Amino acid sequence: MNWGNVKLIFIRELRDQLRDRRTIFTVAVLPILLYPLLGMSFFQVLQFMKQHPSRVLVMGVESLPPSPPLIEYEKPGAPRIPLELFDSADEQKLIQLEVRPLPNGPVAFAAAKRIARAEIDAEAFDLVMVFPPDFAEQLAKARQAAVAGVKAAVTFPQPYLCYNTAKEKSDFAERRISKVFERWSESRRNESLIAQDVAPESVRLLQVQRADVAKPEQRKARLWSKILPFVLLIWALTGAFYPAVDLCAGEKERGTLETLLSSPAGRKEIVGGKLLAIMVFSSVTSLLNLTSMGVTGSLIASRLADLGDEGPFALGPPSLAAMAWLLLAVVPISAMFSAAALAVAALARSSKEGQYYLMPLLMICMPLMIIPLLPAAEIDLGGALIPVTGMMLLLRTLMEGRYAEALLYALPVLGVTAGCCWMCVRWAVDQFNNESVLFRESEQFDMRSWLKSVLRDRKDTPTVSLALMCGVLLLIIHFFANLMSEPPTSWQGFVTSTLVSQLAFIATPALLMTIMLTRNPVATLSLRPPRPIALLAVAGLAIAVHPVAMILKQAVLTLYEPNDAMAETLTQMSRLIEQAPLGWLLLAFAVMPALCEELAFRGFILSGLRHSGHKWGAIITTAALFGVIHGMLQQSLIAAALGVILGFVAVQTGSIVACMVFHIMHNSLMLLVTRYLPQRQDEWWANRVARFEPGGEFHYQVWVVAAGGLATILILMYLRQLPWKLTEEEGRQRALESQARQYHAA
Amino acid sequence: MIHVRNLVKRYRDLKRGDVLALAGVSFYAMPGQIFGLLGPNGAGKTTALRILSTVLKPSEGSAQVNGYDVQTQPDLVRRSIGFVSTNTAVYDRMTAWEMVEFFGRLYGLKPEPLRQRMETVFTQLKMDEIRDTLGAKMSTGMKQKVSIARAIVHDPPVLIFDEATVGLDVLVARALLDAVRAIRDQGKCVIFSTHVMREAERLCDRIAIMSRGNILSEGSLDELRARHREDDLEELFFALISQEAAA
Repeated sequence: MNWGNVKLIFIRELRDQLRDRRTIFTVAVLPILLYPLLGMSFFQVLQFMKQHPSRVLVMGVESLPPSPPLIEYEKPGAPRIPLELFDSADEQKLIQLEVRPLPNGPVAFAAAKRIARAEIDAEAFDLVMVFPPDFAEQLAKARQAAVAGVKAAVTFPQPYLCYNTAKEKSDFAERRISKVFERWSESRRNESLIAQDVAPESVRLLQVQRADVAKPEQRKARLWSKILPFVLLIWALTGAFYPAVDLCAGEKERGTLETLLSSPAGRKEIVGGKLLAIMVFSSVTSLLNLTSMGVTGSLIASRLADLGDEGPFALGPPSLAAMAWLLLAVVPISAMFSAAALAVAALARSSKEGQYYLMPLLMICMPLMIIPLLPAAEIDLGGALIPVTGMMLLLRTLMEGRYAEALLYALPVLGVTAGCCWMCVRWAVDQFNNESVLFRESEQFDMRSWLKSVLRDRKDTPTVSLALMCGVLLLIIHFFANLMSEPPTSWQGFVTSTLVSQLAFIATPALLMTIMLTRNPVATLSLRPPRPIALLAVAGLAIAVHPVAMILKQAVLTLYEPNDAMAETLTQMSRLIEQAPLGWLLLAFAVMPALCEELAFRGFILSGLRHSGHKWGAIITTAALFGVIHGMLQQSLIAAALGVILGFVAVQTGSIVACMVFHIMHNSLMLLVTRYLPQRQDEWWANRVARFEPGGEFHYQVWVVAAGGLATILILMYLRQLPWKLTEEEGRQRALESQARQYHAA
Repeated sequence: MIHVRNLVKRYRDLKRGDVLALAGVSFYAMPGQIFGLLGPNGAGKTTALRILSTVLKPSEGSAQVNGYDVQTQPDLVRRSIGFVSTNTAVYDRMTAWEMVEFFGRLYGLKPEPLRQRMETVFTQLKMDEIRDTLGAKMSTGMKQKVSIARAIVHDPPVLIFDEATVGLDVLVARALLDAVRAIRDQGKCVIFSTHVMREAERLCDRIAIMSRGNILSEGSLDELRARHREDDLEELFFALISQEAAA
């Protein structure tokens, strides 16, 4: 890559965008004006905002006990609830009270309830409260019974509350009246205790002493750590998208993209230059928005504090440390969103079409941004591995000053973010290499024609899109199958569900897609026999990798401990595995996964992805999909690492038979060693090989891991030098890379 | 200088399946020569030239430009050519000087030699008046001049003009043809595609007549006239196209 060209293109694009009024408006003018205007509107609206009073009808006031009063009369015909039952006089004014006696007759209470319902339905009142005719008497009786220590359950009479939660005002009225009623009940209880010469305080047996040790800075950090990362992310995405559309789709529309494509700048250099320019706009947009929001927010907060508001924003502006973390986070966040926006925008033929793609991108990103805002959302391994969510959670953790926790998850978050950036950049470069994307013309989409073309134009092996489609399809099927299946309770159920899941949900979709969408199943599934010597090497690799894989497994489980529910599931699974006969166990967990998963992943998916022209990109993407399908995060990480080795074996040997052998041997070794090695711990050789701990756990001795690691490296080096068959795209890519090397050497 | 062998280009169409844009085109073009591609719209001229400029990849066959393969050495090919087409527009938000300078730098020219070269090119093409004019404010003729300046700023051995006179008035078109001739006279290899017979007659040293992805006939104007016993190029062209359509 010629960095000089990247710089030239970056400067050009930057200058180009700075000369575009629309971009300047979105990036600079809008954030500067938006928040002060919003702040101004906030205060304007605040002047007109008032709390609306609740219209409350109380029926059966004549049945109420005289003391303490629930209803009093300011003047005749003007009932109100006494001030003691409210926090303030303002609150008292928010209840517009009307009182009515109960209707006459033997079923007065039932009739009053019907009236209450009719009044609420007619929206004449927001709430109707009905007291039964003998309320005061029943209350007195219940109190006497309680004082006398009658063992039978004492039932206190209850008033009837009628309201409608579908109406905001009625819902408010219920909350206001319930609070009043609770206070009234409390004061009644206190009154009766005093009447018996008992101090009310003495009967409060369980009193909680509350001590909130949070300092104002910590509460402030907690508040801003939820708001600011969200604002940062939203504006980083928006700020990236518009320049991306202009620099890709806009250039196509204006006819300047072909001018650039016919220049000596390589596709990677073009993408690199454009990406940097988009990143600048994304970062500047989000920072300007944060600054403008911060300044306006601080002014509003101080104004609210002056007005005596004790709301959350009265805590003041975010701390300098929080702002520093935000500043630091802008770079990876902008890089990720800029790469995603560039890749998506490259698909569009025109700026108009590009704008349409913003919504799907937002729809994908929005839930990922919302997850960290949910109550009790904290960073853990699962969250750290989700793109966007992980970054937002990490940023929150840093802003709250929990550095040790942040450090633990920083690597996975940055790894995932870097991985997403890499994939998006790769995708964007591929788009710039893809003629059908660069020069496609509008074509009316017709489902029948498309299906026909898929069948008519199918190739020997799947295309990249078909391979990705297969991967996504397997993940979706797996997700729904897991949701619908009940956890097994016996080893037979466990083995059966595993066999069915492998056959029906992994092998069958892959085989059907192979038969229907490709012309050469043998080439698609790499069903050629490997060379015997290579097969032998792969078998040795499975044995050599085993101690290393065990160490990896233990490291992952130590670093990212499973939660209680997961630990319970694992214990349950181990119990079922212990009960199962060895033959069934090997069939379900070694042979069948090896056959089915290899057909799908190293067969259909890998052979399709290799048409991207990037061998390692295909291997890593396949391994990532293979990891994700394992469901449990800790297991996924280990599976993804093994997936890389399996992909390498598939490419170098040109056969999934070798992968199947490796997979069967690896899974079998795991099962056999875990089951039988602890049983032999008293034998002389066992302690030379492993250290045993109480409870059946064991760790391989260092020399075993070292020997395994060394043998793994040697066998991988042997496999590396095997002559492997390039796809047409890989051949072209290799030629292009060697041309670039020759050129730069010259 | 340019060697094209059995160039085939297919693209996929949802309804029609594989569509053949080039059906095995072969030709040579030499330095100091203007090689014309003459054909109606849809003949495959632009596709062939886009392959030569490495913007498109051939489905089959090969093409070498200045000794470099368009598939495996596209970067080196692009350094050896200047490409002017109706599809290679100028940037709206850059001045003529900035745009030519930008491409000159991409071609690897150092600032001072580039400035000197640009002075020469701007004088040659009479572009001094529009030096500081933004692309958006230029007329079609001015834009075409900037495109030519951009294509020749690095003094490439091969120049490709694809329907470069489309949309130009007579005066500007004539000036452009004079510029192309001057470039040829400097010993450059020029490929010039057009559907205007008069331009091909006046400008090209060799002409390939194309239709529906094939070269129907190729040679110097005299050779074509002698081969097809027809002095008028337009008549000759129609006869060939009609025969091809009938076949």
